[in-house]
Amino acid sequence: MNQADVSKLMSRLRIKYKPVRRRLKNPEGAEGRLKKIRKTLTALLKHERIELNYNRADETRGYAERLISDAIRYGDCHRATMELADYWILEKQLIHKLFKVLVPRFDNCPVSYTRMYRAPRPCPGMYYKRAVLELRGNPYPPLLPDMTANRNLIHNVLLDEAQKEFRAQKYAEIAKKLEAADDNVIKSIDDGDEESSSAESSGEDETNVLGEAQVQQPGEKVVHPSQNMQ
Amino acid sequence: MAGVGCSVRGYFLPLRVARNVVKGSICCLFQQQVRGAKHLNYPRLRNPIWFVRKERTKYEEHLTPENKSFIQEVIHDKYGPPTVIGGISTYKQSPLKLQPMERGSWFPGCRRTGVIARKIGIYPMWLKDGTRVLTTLLQVLDNHVIRYIPPEEFHPPRTSVRNPKSKQQLGCLLVGAESADPQTFTKEYCGLFKDSGVMPTKILGRFLISPEAAVQPGTPLYASHFKPGDYVDVRGKTVYRGFQGVMTRWGFKGGPASHGVTKTHRRPGNIGAGGGKARVWPGQKMPGHMGNRYRILYGLEVLRVNTKYNVIWVKGPAVAGETNSTVYIYDTRLPLRKLKETPHFPTYYPEDDDPLPDDIYSENLHPFTAPTITYEENA
Amino acid sequence: MALWCRGVQRILVDVRPIFSLFQTIGNTEYSSLSSVSRPEGLGSDEAKEAKTVEGHKPIVPLECRFVYPEFLPDPRLDHRNSLREKLERMDMLNRRAHIDIPEFYVGSILAVTSSNSHAPEKSSRFVGICIQRGGCGLRASFILRNVIDHQGVEMFYEMYSPVVQKIEVLRLEKRLDNELLYLRDALPEYSTFQLDMEPEFLPEGAPVPVNPIKVKLKPRPWLERWERQELKGVQDLGLPERFYKRAAEVARPWEKYDLMKEYRASIPAEEQEEIFVEVYSQLQQLEVMRKKMKRRRTFVRPKKMG
Repeated sequence: MNQADVSKLMSRLRIKYKPVRRRLKNPEGAEGRLKKIRKTLTALLKHERIELNYNRADETRGYAERLISDAIRYGDCHRATMELADYWILEKQLIHKLFKVLVPRFDNCPVSYTRMYRAPRPCPGMYYKRAVLELRGNPYPPLLPDMTANRNLIHNVLLDEAQKEFRAQKYAEIAKKLEAADDNVIKSIDDGDEESSSAESSGEDETNVLGEAQVQQPGEKVVHPSQNMQ
Repeated sequence: MAGVGCSVRGYFLPLRVARNVVKGSICCLFQQQVRGAKHLNYPRLRNPIWFVRKERTKYEEHLTPENKSFIQEVIHDKYGPPTVIGGISTYKQSPLKLQPMERGSWFPGCRRTGVIARKIGIYPMWLKDGTRVLTTLLQVLDNHVIRYIPPEEFHPPRTSVRNPKSKQQLGCLLVGAESADPQTFTKEYCGLFKDSGVMPTKILGRFLISPEAAVQPGTPLYASHFKPGDYVDVRGKTVYRGFQGVMTRWGFKGGPASHGVTKTHRRPGNIGAGGGKARVWPGQKMPGHMGNRYRILYGLEVLRVNTKYNVIWVKGPAVAGETNSTVYIYDTRLPLRKLKETPHFPTYYPEDDDPLPDDIYSENLHPFTAPTITYEENA
Repeated sequence: MALWCRGVQRILVDVRPIFSLFQTIGNTEYSSLSSVSRPEGLGSDEAKEAKTVEGHKPIVPLECRFVYPEFLPDPRLDHRNSLREKLERMDMLNRRAHIDIPEFYVGSILAVTSSNSHAPEKSSRFVGICIQRGGCGLRASFILRNVIDHQGVEMFYEMYSPVVQKIEVLRLEKRLDNELLYLRDALPEYSTFQLDMEPEFLPEGAPVPVNPIKVKLKPRPWLERWERQELKGVQDLGLPERFYKRAAEVARPWEKYDLMKEYRASIPAEEQEEIFVEVYSQLQQLEVMRKKMKRRRTFVRPKKMG
């Protein structure tokens, strides 16, 4: 069990990362791995959206997130951070972009700074998985289709109707309960205190049983269409 | 078909085949002429009834936010609102659906149900005499009994090898753990949970129990099912290490690193003599796949039970599996460590007894709330 | 032996005025000391090192991470479980209610009293310099080193073991390195401490001093290749040139840029805050109690003298 290294404070990453690094096989070993990632990272900062092999994209993503979060946390007057930026960014004009464009862009960003998509690969073709890595807030059109206008999809229409039905049933139930309660009150006033408690409880039980039976029907109805869609 | 004058096994075969014919699942192998029952390739393993396809294909459904929340509402209406029990997010389950079952009474040798738990880590604790012991923490997930199959109806996939005709003595109790959104499962899988009224669970396991120890479906199981001082067996899936050489897999010594040795630093060496044998004995330790198989650790002592978070501390660091993997805990089968006193039977019911304290310790364990250990001088 | 010890004492006494100049070095400076060494150049304002995210003020002082590092869990992702960590912290606090575990660092001189069934009075006391601190949670431990009868002795203590009766800090200070394992290969005078050493008290609120002493190692052979580690508290090793050449060959200077390696070895700031918010109030209470006890002790002492 190792003690955590407390010498440096860093912000929490907003992405999932692997517990162990990928080696990104290359003849230069660990240093070569960083050099590879460095190239990709520079390209990402430059182009803001790149397509590449999945493994390399996923490894680079963590480094990009860390670099941006450090830039936000410590700013451009912090020597260590500037050294990091100097090491990781090969084209030096992009250091200005990091501190002057990306830091203001992501300053109050509650989610991750990058996005990654799985990209299709030609079949038959290379075996390796492909990915698209992009910075959030880039100027390109979005990769995924805009599905905000999904109200008219058939299962959404059906679900809307089911919802209306469900609500109506619920209201009817509540109304019935209230009525029963009122009846009980009237009865109890008529009959006296002794019998009232038993009558009340039995009345409630009945409504409960009814309620469950009624509630389950729409529930099943709702679940069926979505399952049939598979 | 199999000859009439065969052994007990041969006598048994036509029955099996007939059953298969009735089921309509006979495979074409049986239609061939087969000589000698020994080679008959009947299906030895029948899948139990709860072996249905579990996960459904997931895809983006593009539901509107209102419809998404509506589906959640219906789920909560049916199964109860979401809550957190023992540090795990789950759902407040509806009350028991079926008629209450009669509770049996315990006798020595009775088999109770077990629980499904998660291995959450290992840390040291100290005994009263100052000895340090490593303990494994097992968190009992929100367990619910799903179904009880009495011995008459239960046909396990494997029968007794010694006496295949022996009557089934034990019933089967299906236990589910970790309630989850039913949308993530197939309809067939959700159907398994219909009778108990329990929400579909991510993990489904079975325990063989004596009929007296049957528990009503829908009953939740807790960590206090076990008492400190009991001994348990823990079954888990070992860490998968992939294809490994003999040094990792079997602990061979390998070869020397230098002194003119080439290419023989991690090799197994000789795998058997020639001569009359002229082959490799079965069971020879060789490289191969390592881990990823179920292993049972027998006779672990329960040292401490936390009733608030449903955690059991067992002695020893060697429970199979990684941290956060699922394990199955049940009363030990070791004859000398079996239960001697009446346990919570058939399981612990919180409504029956007085509420238990948050932490229950074994007699010989030093609780951290106790003062420092000091040794007394012998006069 | 007594002569030796006196010699060592004198050496240290001689050293003390020198490093009293460095007493103003605080925790923030310590962080930069203990982090990976950075090459010179790219100069910028040092004072801005400690700048944190604007607009967010931590509820608990994040300096606790130096005082209570064992409350932070093991950063290994596949060994983590939030509930286990929580239970562990609860157990640690329960133990801390019965034993006062003071603030100490690698380089501090401690005296530990522990129950021992084999000792004549069923307990034994050991004084030594802390050369390593390790482990997290209930496994937290430290190693004390001393030279007794010309024989180097090291004792491994587990901080949360109920066998440990008392931990006293005789001299609270830090050294230039995070681990002092090289004292095993140093001259014995650097790890010799008298068993009846009097505790030295720092004034209230004073920063922990850093002892800039540089130890002299014995000639090779050593237990480790010290020339390959970037040690700050060691005098010139006096090795032939080929050793330094080889050290430069196998050095891995790019590791300090490996952002994810750094991240995988540490706990992020937000998480640290969550953890310390949970335990801070109780730790603070224990601290106050300890201070009360300490005051009583310091008050009693002059009486004895008189």
